[in-house]
Amino acid sequence: MIDFVASWLAATLAYAVPYALAALGLIICERAGVLSLTAEGFMLVGALAGVGAVLALRAPPLAALAVGMAAAALVAVLFALLVVVLRLNQVVAGLAMVFFCQGLTSLVGTAFGWTSKAIGGLTRLPLGPLADLPLLGRALFNQDILVYLTLPIFAAIAWLLTRSMTGLRLRAVGESPEAADAAGVNVTAYRFVAVLAGSALIGLAGAYISVGSAKIWIQDMTSGRGWIAIALVIFARWRPWRALAGAILFGCIESLVPRVAAAGIQAPRYVMLMLPYVVTLGVMVWMAVARTGRPGDEPAALGQPHVREERR
Amino acid sequence: MARLVLDIRREASAPFHAALTAASVFAGLAISAAILIAAGVPPAALADEFVVATLFDAQSLHAVLFQAAPLIMVGAGAAIAFRARFWNLGLEGQMIWGAIAATAVSLFEIGPPMLRLPLMFLAAIVAGMAWIALPLLLKQRLAVNEIVSTLLLNYVALNVLLHLLYGAWADPKDSFPHSPLYRGFERLPELPGGISSALVLALAAVAALAWLTLASRFGFHLRFVQAGPAVARSLGVPVLGVTVAATLLSGSLAASAGFVIVAAQEGRLTQSFFTGYGVSGVLIAFLARNNPAAAAIVALLVAILFAAGQNLQVFYQIPFAMVQLIQAIVVIAAAAADFFLRHRVRWVKGIG
Repeated sequence: MIDFVASWLAATLAYAVPYALAALGLIICERAGVLSLTAEGFMLVGALAGVGAVLALRAPPLAALAVGMAAAALVAVLFALLVVVLRLNQVVAGLAMVFFCQGLTSLVGTAFGWTSKAIGGLTRLPLGPLADLPLLGRALFNQDILVYLTLPIFAAIAWLLTRSMTGLRLRAVGESPEAADAAGVNVTAYRFVAVLAGSALIGLAGAYISVGSAKIWIQDMTSGRGWIAIALVIFARWRPWRALAGAILFGCIESLVPRVAAAGIQAPRYVMLMLPYVVTLGVMVWMAVARTGRPGDEPAALGQPHVREERR
Repeated sequence: MARLVLDIRREASAPFHAALTAASVFAGLAISAAILIAAGVPPAALADEFVVATLFDAQSLHAVLFQAAPLIMVGAGAAIAFRARFWNLGLEGQMIWGAIAATAVSLFEIGPPMLRLPLMFLAAIVAGMAWIALPLLLKQRLAVNEIVSTLLLNYVALNVLLHLLYGAWADPKDSFPHSPLYRGFERLPELPGGISSALVLALAAVAALAWLTLASRFGFHLRFVQAGPAVARSLGVPVLGVTVAATLLSGSLAASAGFVIVAAQEGRLTQSFFTGYGVSGVLIAFLARNNPAAAAIVALLVAILFAAGQNLQVFYQIPFAMVQLIQAIVVIAAAAADFFLRHRVRWVKGIG
């Protein structure tokens, strides 16, 4: 039993990191008022670009993660053009981007022969004697570098969003673009940069799935994690630290699925594989029933294009 | 100093609208062609695969029309839900449940042979409605976002399908993940003249939907709901009833698409019969601006794309996902064109 719990906890953080980073990226976009349904697509772009960097450029894993971020940010330029500059319906543009990225990654992955090729990927970095602590040692101090970096990334973004002038302006743009505009904030620029920065984090989440955990690229390998991250943002009420806690919870559930089979417990495989989606739905329902969300949680201008010429 | 100035265009003329749409679709196709050529398809083969081989070859044309039936159904299904402001992204899940329910009727030999096929169809429709009823209920009662819930339910439905195909419903004759073949009378027949009865079903459904949205009281109410539920409610439109009816209709249309694929094309329940259809349904509805009749026409064009995509996969090893990529590019181009429909861009010279 102790062994089961130890191996479960040891795997949890690696499963939590993609959710955490993708949710954080989404929070940056959405706090600026841009509804981004693109996570599933941009995670795929990051995942493919990371593996591609390793296979084609012989990039070390950390550089491959950076390539994944850059690739997602690059594709996000198109999304930002559509929703921030051309002011399209953000739901339509976001969904079209996901479908675009699914098709693109599958085409590029096959065309370059990157599909189903195992790569080295990130290695574990045990933190000296801490890694030998019973139970917690393996869970917390014998992880790869991105797991350790996730905490400072969250601290930095949370500070930026809530304590800095930039964050204040960004949130103003998401709450009331008209007021922000009147106060001299460049709404278009803030939203554009927020989409790019958020998407880069989503790309990092995807690259971590392929370069960090799976160490392989497979078509559509994110299998719905982007949608779960979107649910997680609602659960987190657009707050970074709550998103991190939620991501760890989801990581716990997802890492449980392979452990159960490995522990020899008889459970139908495909029923177990449904678990993350069912739990996500369950959490959304529970949030709604318990009415834990307050109306003020959601950025007020979320999903609304800012059209200065129509200012009233 | 010159600068760009944006004006809001209140109304665009119909010819301008049509020209813009045509130009954007053409631009999207041109970008797609460039991507395909970059991926290794010889330019000369493109025209051949897309136009000549699909439309001027009797056998390919037959395949295109065959493919069109489920695409028309998912496209019209997405359109009717979007009109009621319900983002049904669960088309795949509803297709899967439709096919599962139809297969259950076949497996358990429910009803006499004469009635078997209608019963399979009926079971599919009921299953599709049931599967969309959950996110509909969650949205109406608890305001749970249906985009996320319908998408999550797709993954649940997929795992149910795999659970059945890798378990109790696997064909005992071989070790592949599919159900036993349907009996002859459980398959949608081909009508005289080589027309698939699935296509007739799809066109009948579209005709009914077109009448429903254009000429019926329901369609009149639906237009109010589409324009704005709050105003519609204050005008006395039964918003809840209209939304529920349109959404259930959407689920049943997607399930019908699943039914016609397994009953006309595959002849059994397979693990990937739905691939590409869910996404196409959404994109068809976007391009058709949620108009059921227009969705049928767009679906026919997408069916050509599907047929060409299958050829490209066989002859040039281009993955089938290319079909999805091209549709997404065309939708993005068409959506981007909307900007010019709603705005006028002017150069202003001098000090701004």
